[in-house]
Amino acid sequence: MSGDSGSLLNQSSSTDQSKNGVSRHVTQSSMMIGSKSSNAKKLTIKNFKAKPVLPENYERETWRKLEEAVSAIHRSSFIRYSLEELYKAVENLCSHKIAKNLYSQLRDVCEQHIRKQVHVFDENIDGELFLRRLEQEWQDHCQQTIMIRCIFLVLDRTYVLQNSMLPSLWDLGLDLFRENVLSRDHVRERCLLGLLELVVRERSGDAVNRSLLRNLLSMLNDLQIYHSLFEKHFLKETEQFYLTEGDVKKNQLEVYEYLIHTEKRIEEERNLCITCMDNSTLKPLIACVESQLIARHTDFLLNKGLSYLINENRMSDLQRFYSLLSSIQDGTQSLCTCFTDHVKGVASGIVMDSNADATMVQDLLDLKEKLDNIVNTCFDKDAKFIHGLQRAFESSVNKRQNKPAELIAKYVDQRMRSGNKESSEAELDRTLDRIMLLFRFIHGKDVFEAFYKKDLAKRLLVGKSASVDAEKSMLSKLKQECGGAFTSKLEGMFKDMFHSKELMSQYRQYQSTKADMQDISVDINVNILTMGYWPTYTAMEVRLPVEMGKLQECFRQFYLMKHSGRKLTFQSTLGHCVLKSKFKNGNKELQVSLFQTLILLLFNEGDVFSYKYIRDETLCKDVELKRTLQSLACGKARVLTKIPKGKDVGDDDKFEFNSDFKHKLIRIKINQIQMKETVEENIDTTERVFQDRQYQIDAAIVRTMKMRKSLSHQLLASEVYDQLKFPIKPTDIKKRIESLIERDYMQRDKDNTNQYHYVA
Amino acid sequence: MSATVSEKGDAPAGKQPDQLFTLKRWNAVAVWSWDVECDTCAICRVQVMDACLRCQADNKQEGCVVVWGECNHSFHNCCMSLWVEQNNRCPLCQKEWVIQGTGK
Ligand SMILES: [Zn+2]
Ligand SMILES: [Zn+2]
Ligand SMILES: [Zn+2]
Repeated sequence: MSGDSGSLLNQSSSTDQSKNGVSRHVTQSSMMIGSKSSNAKKLTIKNFKAKPVLPENYERETWRKLEEAVSAIHRSSFIRYSLEELYKAVENLCSHKIAKNLYSQLRDVCEQHIRKQVHVFDENIDGELFLRRLEQEWQDHCQQTIMIRCIFLVLDRTYVLQNSMLPSLWDLGLDLFRENVLSRDHVRERCLLGLLELVVRERSGDAVNRSLLRNLLSMLNDLQIYHSLFEKHFLKETEQFYLTEGDVKKNQLEVYEYLIHTEKRIEEERNLCITCMDNSTLKPLIACVESQLIARHTDFLLNKGLSYLINENRMSDLQRFYSLLSSIQDGTQSLCTCFTDHVKGVASGIVMDSNADATMVQDLLDLKEKLDNIVNTCFDKDAKFIHGLQRAFESSVNKRQNKPAELIAKYVDQRMRSGNKESSEAELDRTLDRIMLLFRFIHGKDVFEAFYKKDLAKRLLVGKSASVDAEKSMLSKLKQECGGAFTSKLEGMFKDMFHSKELMSQYRQYQSTKADMQDISVDINVNILTMGYWPTYTAMEVRLPVEMGKLQECFRQFYLMKHSGRKLTFQSTLGHCVLKSKFKNGNKELQVSLFQTLILLLFNEGDVFSYKYIRDETLCKDVELKRTLQSLACGKARVLTKIPKGKDVGDDDKFEFNSDFKHKLIRIKINQIQMKETVEENIDTTERVFQDRQYQIDAAIVRTMKMRKSLSHQLLASEVYDQLKFPIKPTDIKKRIESLIERDYMQRDKDNTNQYHYVA
Repeated sequence: MSATVSEKGDAPAGKQPDQLFTLKRWNAVAVWSWDVECDTCAICRVQVMDACLRCQADNKQEGCVVVWGECNHSFHNCCMSLWVEQNNRCPLCQKEWVIQGTGK
């Protein structure tokens, strides 16, 4: 009993409380129109244990009031009752368990209204007008539903909440709209067509009412028919649209224009989607555009436009190409393949054009630099492009045997020679680094070495090297790239030069102690070359004047005294001299070759000599003698006069000392007329390289066997391939192995003929 | 191969001050090689001017010198010193191997 009275007391106070609670609640909930999951826990209903008795007709009267209000909302007209009064009425009905009726009555009223309303769509109006009407209806519907829900909030918060099967008032509104409006085929159809038409107009560049599009699409989303009604068809339409557009534009536009167009399209679609559509559409939409405009035409676009863009160095277009292709499957792979093919074509063209040998290396370097730049800037330093570029260069450079290696060596020589002052040391070093990039691709690195050595020898012996540092730097680059065995002979050349200098200072000491050498005033300097380190020179016999002969023999004695078991061969073709000479017009100092010296010295004994006399005195060979006489009598500085005059030297010509010789300089270098490196000489150099390979294969096999002691044929062969700096056939390796077995450097396993053992 | 000297001896190259041409400086180039009859070592079949096969394999090009026997045959010193451990005869003439000298 006491409990009951207590609860009655509580009840009155709780009503007050709820009053306050309600008024607070209405203002809050007008903001939220979500479904029943919202936090509706403010109202405490546990204290409504005993029902207050309701007046007779209360339910009917109250519903009449509410129905009138709902109708007014539907008509958008004035509501006679205050919202609070209506709210309370709903609250009362709910607390008296009449909620079920209330809910279904409300549902019926709303549904009737919508059904009456649907006829506005029957009218046959054009697309956009229809869409605007639909938008209007939808907006009205939403507003109405919000207002109704405000009034019926307690119903939403109590009854609906307790019956999980029932939709909230908001959801109920959506259901009614969907079932009564958008379930109708002609509404759906015209809605879809209208929307797609808006999109088409947007794509063709018209200014389109985007908010209409956005509102209707968000309506479809709210009604949960966005995907089924719109997105599916929209994507299909899009696909068709860009299929057609791609087919037309790819022929109409240049490739770079097409790419710009595509990029613009993707941006437009992204923009449209972000402004008007559901987020989930973005990914499939962009994928669809990319697939229609790019993926479908990848090969066509690459074949039609890539070469042009590379040739013209169109950096931003190439970058665009890469970035568009990187979003489709295998796109950059296709680009890479096409890029590599292009490079192969251009590089091979440069390599194979034997008329353009003079510029081959520079052209390749320029091409490489340009392409490196493209890969780094436009292709995102993509590893497969870097490798592809290298493979393309490697295959191109090796399409022609030996020549590229020879020309690379020549190119280095031109940079290294003094007189080439166009670049600073730092620039020269950069050039050498770039040369090494090309050198790396060469398979026959020993061919390069042979030609490089020839030029290096000239630079060292004539003192024509631009910079010792640059020479050392190049040597260390080669060593780093190919290992010590590759450069050991080149290094030997530098050592020979160094030792020769040392030896000469000892020799001068020695000569000064020799009594019979005291009257010799000629300053001799000898560079002693180790045979095998240096290129092979053809020895040419000449007859020296007595004094020179004495000097030469004195040096030979000295040398053989220091080194037993050796022999020394003077290379007349490489000797050069400084001659003091007296002319009527003044004294000159002539820098001349040994051959030129021998001829000029003859003129100390007479003024005119026949060709034959000169030949008999010097013992020069005809070819060499004629070239030398030509240089003295037909060149720029004519210290001799040829009789009769003429460019070519004949066997019956005479030569006279030109006492009228004039020259503005005191020191004059009379160039030996350079024979162009003959084809035979060239073949000689490469042939020697090939002979030498056999020793290198032997050495590599012995080196490997010594280290591994025992190896199968396959493992041995693969290690040897890795060590060698030139291509080699498996049969060659087999032959060398047989030869080494025969010479007892290794033996075959007794049981397994495929296995070898090292013999110490 | 080497230059022969003029036998006339009446054309001194550098003396008389009144002559037209006077040789002041001579930059000569000479190539040295081992003074051997055969360029190739019969044991390793590498030219004697190159290091023997084993030294090449070891990358020890320098210091691989030539040895001469009393028979005047020559080989890499490395090759021959291994050879005599098995057989103290010259591989070419089968005479007893006696060293005449080594290169330096
Ligand atoms: Zn040997
Ligand atoms: Zn050796
Ligand atoms: Zn012998």
